[in-house]
Amino acid sequence: MVRPVNKKKVYPTWFLILPLVLYIVFFLFPSLLGIFYSFTDWSRNTSKTGLNFVGIKNYIEIFSSNKNYADGILNTLKFTIVSNLVKIIPALFLAIILYEGLKGMGVYRTIFYLPSIIPFVIIGILFTSVLNFKNGLLNNTLQAVGLGFLKQKWLSDLNVVWKSIYMVDAWRGMGYVMTIFMTGLAAIDKSYYEAARVDGANFWQRLWYVTLPMMRGAIMINLVFGITYGLKVFDIVYVLTNGGPGHATEVMTTYSFQLYGAGQYGMATAFNSILLVITAVVGILIVRTMSRKGAA
Amino acid sequence: MKKLLSLVLCLMLCLVSVSALAENVVVEAVPNEGQFEGQELSILVSAGWMDNRYDATIARFEETYGVTVDLQTIPADQYFDILLAGLANGTCSDVFWIQSNPFAIKSMIVDPENLCIDFTGADWAGVIPEARLAACQSDGKLYGLQIWHNSPEYVMLYNKTLFEELGLEVPTTYAELKDVCAKIAEQGITPWFLPGADGWQHQLAFFQIGGVYEEATPGLFDALNNNTATFADNEKMLEVLGQFKELSDLGYFGEDWIGTDSTNMANEYGDRTIAMAMNNASYVKQLHDELDTEDEWGMFLIPLGDNTWFPTSPAGPTMFGYKGTEHEDLVRAWFQFVCTPESLQEILDNSPNYTNLHVNVDIEQHWLPEEEAFMETVDPAKMNCCVLQNGTKYTNDYWMQFGQDMIAYVQGSIEANDVLKAMDGYRAEGAATAGDEAWK
Repeated sequence: MVRPVNKKKVYPTWFLILPLVLYIVFFLFPSLLGIFYSFTDWSRNTSKTGLNFVGIKNYIEIFSSNKNYADGILNTLKFTIVSNLVKIIPALFLAIILYEGLKGMGVYRTIFYLPSIIPFVIIGILFTSVLNFKNGLLNNTLQAVGLGFLKQKWLSDLNVVWKSIYMVDAWRGMGYVMTIFMTGLAAIDKSYYEAARVDGANFWQRLWYVTLPMMRGAIMINLVFGITYGLKVFDIVYVLTNGGPGHATEVMTTYSFQLYGAGQYGMATAFNSILLVITAVVGILIVRTMSRKGAA
Repeated sequence: MKKLLSLVLCLMLCLVSVSALAENVVVEAVPNEGQFEGQELSILVSAGWMDNRYDATIARFEETYGVTVDLQTIPADQYFDILLAGLANGTCSDVFWIQSNPFAIKSMIVDPENLCIDFTGADWAGVIPEARLAACQSDGKLYGLQIWHNSPEYVMLYNKTLFEELGLEVPTTYAELKDVCAKIAEQGITPWFLPGADGWQHQLAFFQIGGVYEEATPGLFDALNNNTATFADNEKMLEVLGQFKELSDLGYFGEDWIGTDSTNMANEYGDRTIAMAMNNASYVKQLHDELDTEDEWGMFLIPLGDNTWFPTSPAGPTMFGYKGTEHEDLVRAWFQFVCTPESLQEILDNSPNYTNLHVNVDIEQHWLPEEEAFMETVDPAKMNCCVLQNGTKYTNDYWMQFGQDMIAYVQGSIEANDVLKAMDGYRAEGAATAGDEAWK
């Protein structure tokens, strides 16, 4: 006989309290406080003048200033899309290749994963050196193997600089994405592939009809992580170009950082609030879309 | 008569004594009574401002008082963001530095009364020469200590031997500069090495010639400080920016000057892959020390805008004590310690490139013949106008942003006047943050 569950004795609710309190104190409250400050003239001068409510003045400034803050927002969105594409697709194929039984899988997995644990500062020093036009390893190697015509001003040419950032970002993040995909692949029952093979499915058909649907969870995790990372991107841009050349690679966070550095905290928090709203909306949309597909 | 004579002699003696005091201040270190034992002094500084010239002094300070010094040297392009964030959230180091000028304390630190230790009346105050005091004081209170050299700053430092071999004369106008650059470039040598990736060097070409702008528009500096003039639409500034872009377009700064930093500059001089660059005069000392070459070096004024003005600049990296420190007495002892004759001589002697220290202390200076030769070429009447960044309010504070705008202009993303308009915008922001009445 199955005894009815006494809901009053279900204690997992208690387990929620601690993380909920931590979440409210360290995430929700600062976010709301940030939104509040974005409507004020909070600055380095506030200790003298006091904090004043300025309505949406900071937001108007962001969208109407001649400092191209709007470009920073567009660059952020562009980075979010492209950086995920150049990481997720190759990482998926790498995961499949490794999982299909390539010899030395563990070694390759470690090699691919290693860059993701290297601090951004080190990556910055490393790649500003590697990508140096005159003495950098990349251009020197291209020259040495007879491909000198491919030499580029990797971090100073307006047509190349974003590609360099995507390249370095992919180098750093692909292993991490790949690891999550490999976990997803491990969860797929082999019998599905066997059945598909019996039915004569080729590699692409197995990928499309078996692998991708069964990996929806892993894809969703990578997408959510990737998009939130992309929207709040700062480190990789800061260490490689610091928003340059000129303002070509400015993103929302580099502008926010500059404003904060200049003592315009109200404006900086307005920028962060916009970022918060975009991140929240995109995050909710992804989770809802994927959940709906999962349910279907 | 005898009494009168003795009175006059006494008065003269007093005046000489006072004058001697002003010229040779002797500061003694705070006596060690074990009062600081085990404490830690943290110092936040931008790369290049302390270098190893302070190492021996720091070591002696640690040994004298039984303390440790945590020296945090930050890359120049990140320094101010980190410093200002620290000041804003109360996590600043015990000692910090800013590039100070007569306006910088109010525009950068904004609230020195609450953020900086007031050193008014300190023993070491007399060490700072009169010309530099304004950069260390605010509202009559002494907050900073500026120990900097008095060499010509950021003029053109060129390979004299190479020029002679190529039959080139020192250029005194922009047209002559362009001609010289063309002839040097023909030899496969970069005429003017400009390390744009440093983020802070290329602006010097525009700002170090402050006298040119003031001469073209008399009263400009005052008008800019009173907010009755703007950078935008200033014809001389537009002309100089145009010349800068032209040199860049012609490749005279090197093939990828925007992506090149200054790490290898000395070697580039030595290898003769570059002919000239903007440098402090004392950089010659570094070249002598580091290079195995018999080439000789010389200096001339930056000729953009047909400049003939010396880059007078009563400014420099300046050390401040953070008011929120837990070791205020230790900070005070550090400032006192640095100002002793022994420390000052040590700092100068250990400096890779200083040839002198501009202090009211009798120490042995090491002026270079090249510096003296250069100074003889400068008209003394052209030494009384300050460089633009230190003669106008809120300008130096946006140095890095202006540099970014210059690069955007050179790359064709914006127009020359947009660069100047942006500077007006930055200055207005700075004025608003400082609560400047002239901008209200």
